[in-house]
Amino acid sequence: MAEVVFDEASRIYTPGATPAVDKLSLTVNDGELVVLVGPSGSGKSTALRMLAGLEPIDAGHLRIDGRDVVDVASKDRDIAMVFQSYALYPSKTVRDNMAFPLKMRGMDKAEQAKRVNEAAEILGLTEYLDRKPKALSGGQRQRVAMGRAIVREPRVFLMDEPLSNLDAKMRVQTRAQIAGLQNRLDVTTVYVTHDQVEAMTMGDRVAVLRDGKLQQYATPSELYDRPVNAFVAGFIGSPAMNLMDLQRSGDGVTLGGSTLPLTREVADAAGSADTVTVGLRPEDLSLTSEGDGIKAVVDVVEELGSESYLYAHMAEHPDTTLVVRGPGRTRVRYGETIAVRVDPDAVHAFDASSGERLAS
Amino acid sequence: MTSTLERPAAPSGPPPAPGQTPTRSARAEGWVRRAPLLPALVFTIIVTQIPFLLTIFYSLQSWNLVRPGSQQWVWFDNYVSVFQDSQFRGVALNTVIMTLGSVLIAVVLGLVLALLLNRHFIGRGIVRTLLVTPFLITPVAAALLWKTTLLDPTYGLINFVLSPFGVGEEAWISDFPLASVMVALIWQWTPFMMLLLLAGLQSMPTDQIEAARMDGAGAWAIFKELTLPHLRRFIELGTVLGAIYLVNTFDAVYMITQGGPGTASANLPFYIYQRAFLGFDIGQSAAMGVVVVVMTIIVATFALRLVFRSFGAAEGSN
Ligand SMILES: Nc1ncnc2c1ncn2[C@@H]1O[C@H](COP(=O)(O)OP(=O)(O)OP(=O)(O)O)[C@@H](O)[C@H]1O
Ligand SMILES: [Mg+2]
Repeated sequence: MAEVVFDEASRIYTPGATPAVDKLSLTVNDGELVVLVGPSGSGKSTALRMLAGLEPIDAGHLRIDGRDVVDVASKDRDIAMVFQSYALYPSKTVRDNMAFPLKMRGMDKAEQAKRVNEAAEILGLTEYLDRKPKALSGGQRQRVAMGRAIVREPRVFLMDEPLSNLDAKMRVQTRAQIAGLQNRLDVTTVYVTHDQVEAMTMGDRVAVLRDGKLQQYATPSELYDRPVNAFVAGFIGSPAMNLMDLQRSGDGVTLGGSTLPLTREVADAAGSADTVTVGLRPEDLSLTSEGDGIKAVVDVVEELGSESYLYAHMAEHPDTTLVVRGPGRTRVRYGETIAVRVDPDAVHAFDASSGERLAS
Repeated sequence: MTSTLERPAAPSGPPPAPGQTPTRSARAEGWVRRAPLLPALVFTIIVTQIPFLLTIFYSLQSWNLVRPGSQQWVWFDNYVSVFQDSQFRGVALNTVIMTLGSVLIAVVLGLVLALLLNRHFIGRGIVRTLLVTPFLITPVAAALLWKTTLLDPTYGLINFVLSPFGVGEEAWISDFPLASVMVALIWQWTPFMMLLLLAGLQSMPTDQIEAARMDGAGAWAIFKELTLPHLRRFIELGTVLGAIYLVNTFDAVYMITQGGPGTASANLPFYIYQRAFLGFDIGQSAAMGVVVVVMTIIVATFALRLVFRSFGAAEGSN
């Protein structure tokens, strides 16, 4: 049980270059599951490895339960980590792999066996205890890596893309298992992924990173409803939000010939800027009867059964593209012109140059 | 079996037995593919197997070149005297000590050096090159270097370096003949072991070590629990290869001690050479050669099987 605080912590691999993690400030509450998410190279793994003690902290502080751990070796931090490659010990059996952290802590044999058996029970590994890792499937190896982390009852769990080597179905299954296990054990957990769906479904809170900088740290619903900038807006949600730089006209912006009204606050915040970046989630757009609405020409229809996604471009501005959610079994076909209705309350607006959210 | 084979042939004849044509053509194709190897095979047989057969032939005769006309069949008498020869037994023991001792010490030293070279420090490239050089030196030159430049009682560098510690003109080669030869061999073979083990160390995934560190393992525990098991097959390979080479050592013995004093530092190849080309006792030395070959084959078979087994098992993991 522990609270983890990153306090302006930085990691600079090569002096002079941009830091891999740049002044990260982040508090993980006791028992919370926090997901670090971001595109490749955004510094997620580095941040996690700083917490693990596998990377030095070049500037700032890192506290676990109020104690600064910058100079504490990883073996003394009481943290367990699940590696992306699982990092199982190939020469040891599953049992010895799981017992290894206990053995290193000098726990007596009987207690070791008891804990390993308990963990194996929870993870459904009992029948594999005497096998070597090479004789296990990917999913089983993943569970052994989990088992090795939980036997120790550490203060903090770290997981670096633990599901990326599993197939899609296993990933969804294991995702739920990990979230359930974390809930039950109530151990502070930091989880790294580049998959925003994983982040949204698992995290109590999600931290979005980009180029080593924290963009937004909030609950999944907050991230979805009120992204602080255009990057977060485009990163969270699937399919991604439609982001368009649009010309101002009066109190609104022009989109495909018609005017999209902006709220009073947004218009005020935008000030005298000529253009505004407008974000529209595909699920906030709907098809409407011919006549009113924005005209767009369909390029691709993605039929998912319960719903469909229409990839279209503006009839008058072929450069502006738009993804629209349509009903399942839609009759719209490639090349047809559709009319799209925008829910005015669901318009996200961002500063065209800085990308910051405008007003509410 | 027989009935199924006969059946297609029995009814009419026109369709050629389906099972046979492909076999015949496959066999022909096999020959086409292997025929180019034939000269090499024939050559290998000529230069290895025929001399061996001749050696067996001579080993059944009493034949000393010093006494012309003495050549006669004695069948297994030579073998009986080989096993009764206490010198032969002493030399065989020397061979075991020299081979295993040098290989094991070289492996241990190589492991230590490999562990050092596996970390980052300034000038690592230069240090690595310097450490490899002994392996690149011609064995005869290396032996000569040890005999004259290093171990010589009067001019040797070893005595010079040790002189502040009260070591006078110590005659290393005559006082410790076997050890002197072994030191030269170890010096030459440590780099080989070091390179092999360094390759092993560098093929070890870093995330395992990181995982162990997080699991609370210290440096020694990581070495014992992870590094050594990982290196096991490299150590086995190094030991077997080193032993195969060192069991035929001739140059170092010849250059440094000439097997002396007496046979104190002689090994089997050198002793057989002495008996054949200095004692001119062809029959005796041929018998010794046969005994040595047979013993070597037995030992090598077990050793090689060990290596192949551990590599085979390792391959299964990837
Ligand atoms: N050992 C290293 N030396 C120098 N630069 C490094 C090193 N490791 C990572 N970096 C750099 O630090 C940045 C962040 O890397 P990091 O591995 O944390 O990214 P990530 O968010 O985990 O990406 P991914 O999703 O691809 O795993 C990258 O630009 C990377 O090139
Ligand atoms: Mg990563």
